[in-house]
Amino acid sequence: MSNYAVRRFKDRLFFFLGIACIVLAVLPLGSILLEVIVKGLPTLSLNFLTTVPGPGGANVGGIGPAIQGSLILIGLTSLIGIPLGVLSGIYLAEYGDAPYARVMRSLNDVLTEFPSIVVGLTVFLVVVLKVSGSVGLGFSPLSGAIALSFILIPIVARTAEEAIKLVPNALREASMALGVRKWRTTLSIVLSVAKAGLVTGILLAVARVAGETAPLILTVLGNTHFFEGFNEPLAALPLQIYQDALSADPGIQARAWGAALILILVVLSLNIVVRLATRGRMGNSGRK
Amino acid sequence: MTTSTAVVNPTVSVKLTGAGSTFINPVLQAMISAYQAATPTVAINYQSVGSGAGISALEGHTVDFAASDAPLQAADIAKAPNALTIPTTIGAEAIAYNVPGIASNLHLTGKVIADIFSGNVTTWNNPEIQSLNTNVTLPSNSILVVHRSDSSGTTFVFTGYLSQESAGWNKTYGQSKTIGWPVGLGANGNAGVAGVVQGTTYTIGYVELDYAIANKMTVASVENNAGNWVLPTLASSAAAATSVTSLPAGNGVWSTFNLLNQPGANTYPIVTFSYILVYKDLSVNTDLNVNSADALVNFLYWAVNTGQGQAQGLSYVPLPANVVAIDVATIQSITFGTTALAIQQ
Repeated sequence: MSNYAVRRFKDRLFFFLGIACIVLAVLPLGSILLEVIVKGLPTLSLNFLTTVPGPGGANVGGIGPAIQGSLILIGLTSLIGIPLGVLSGIYLAEYGDAPYARVMRSLNDVLTEFPSIVVGLTVFLVVVLKVSGSVGLGFSPLSGAIALSFILIPIVARTAEEAIKLVPNALREASMALGVRKWRTTLSIVLSVAKAGLVTGILLAVARVAGETAPLILTVLGNTHFFEGFNEPLAALPLQIYQDALSADPGIQARAWGAALILILVVLSLNIVVRLATRGRMGNSGRK
Repeated sequence: MTTSTAVVNPTVSVKLTGAGSTFINPVLQAMISAYQAATPTVAINYQSVGSGAGISALEGHTVDFAASDAPLQAADIAKAPNALTIPTTIGAEAIAYNVPGIASNLHLTGKVIADIFSGNVTTWNNPEIQSLNTNVTLPSNSILVVHRSDSSGTTFVFTGYLSQESAGWNKTYGQSKTIGWPVGLGANGNAGVAGVVQGTTYTIGYVELDYAIANKMTVASVENNAGNWVLPTLASSAAAATSVTSLPAGNGVWSTFNLLNQPGANTYPIVTFSYILVYKDLSVNTDLNVNSADALVNFLYWAVNTGQGQAQGLSYVPLPANVVAIDVATIQSITFGTTALAIQQ
């Protein structure tokens, strides 16, 4: 019986150690969320969300352009990056045994770990600058979306590849046996089965991209006005937070907290909306 | 040769983009806000990315105007030919510190500041500092130097001052927008330096005066040429501007011009112009047209005249009349291709 007591004690000990580790891991996350909510919530108002930022002092203004700019950037980046990323993922998963594909895969992995400031700098030199040898798009939404796409594509490609690899081969064989061509099998059977994994990967990548600051400094510059056109600088939430947090003005510091809360909410609501929108269609074939 | 004159069409909305100096940012944003209220069709976007980044943006033709506290150097002039220099405001650089229990008015000479920033003086109660402040009990803690990490006009002016004050500094480090700092911690922008100094004890840094005042920072009295201890204030920086003569023309070379160590009993020694830089022929910026170029010229004209009313409330010095006159002549010389640009006075 004493043997049982010792084992029971060990079991309890490790159970509580496990709980303690979880608490330790969640504590920083909880404190960040709490801090952002406590400091950001008082600034929120309809006015704060819809007006342009003021110079400070009595006129702090709002973060309207930054919210609009971030949504535009997320949209443009998704338009460029998601098709390319998913197509790359399909290639790597379905045709990935060729030596060329193996090189692609390792390059893709390198790109996933690339420092985002380097991506920003590269796009700045190759796309933004209006001198010879550069595309000359200037500080613009498109320049920002190109930089963010470089970050989004490898993540989407890798997660898409993993999701597609999980699709049972039997499904492909069944489809082929019915005389369906390979491209049709991939699009109609494999992709619809892998949809849950694809969506998760895309959401992770979009959330990562929505919070990126470094590439935006060099590609969209920031703007104190609402969207002015595809060849003009653009505001974005991470840029607004970065600049406002450095400010001496307490009103502008509060604006940074408000913008941080909104950024978290934007990412969260994107997540929820996409999950709700894709839930029905994933139901029958999602997890096998 | 000028063949025609463009007049801004007030019904067409115009977008202008500028980038650069964080030193000028508070007063320039206030100017832009006031101009926007009076001229709703002209939307001006100024981003304070640092003087060095602003000059790079001008050279890359990615902005319509840049702002810098460091005048264009020979290398910049080669990359941005025919850029004009328009002094737009005057401000002081405060030596801000955060030592618990010690209020503003710690006495420092240029020599001691150079010794601190080059790592020769490492503790607050070092005899070099103590001998200047005999009635202050200084702690024995190490000095944490805070400097700029980005390419900065504020650094250019500060190291220019140190080079005048200390032969050793001049020989080893000299004057530049970026310095290979031997000691200390880098921070981004004037706001970044202010933030680190304010948030960390036993620090010392250099920031534009408005940042020091807005942050309620403690600042040093610096010995001026007349041998007096002077705190950075609006009055003591304005004193530096009264004796400004023999300025270069707007299209001239400003690389060695400065407002450091100006004469006067109550003159603060670390004072500088902050400049707006634009191309003389605005058609080199592909995103400008005659109408938006004219809007830019009108804003610049307004900024050096009516816009100066925004300065004093933010502890910047309004431009003296002789500087405004030079600026107006410079602004009137700006063209779009061969088209002169009308200014509505």
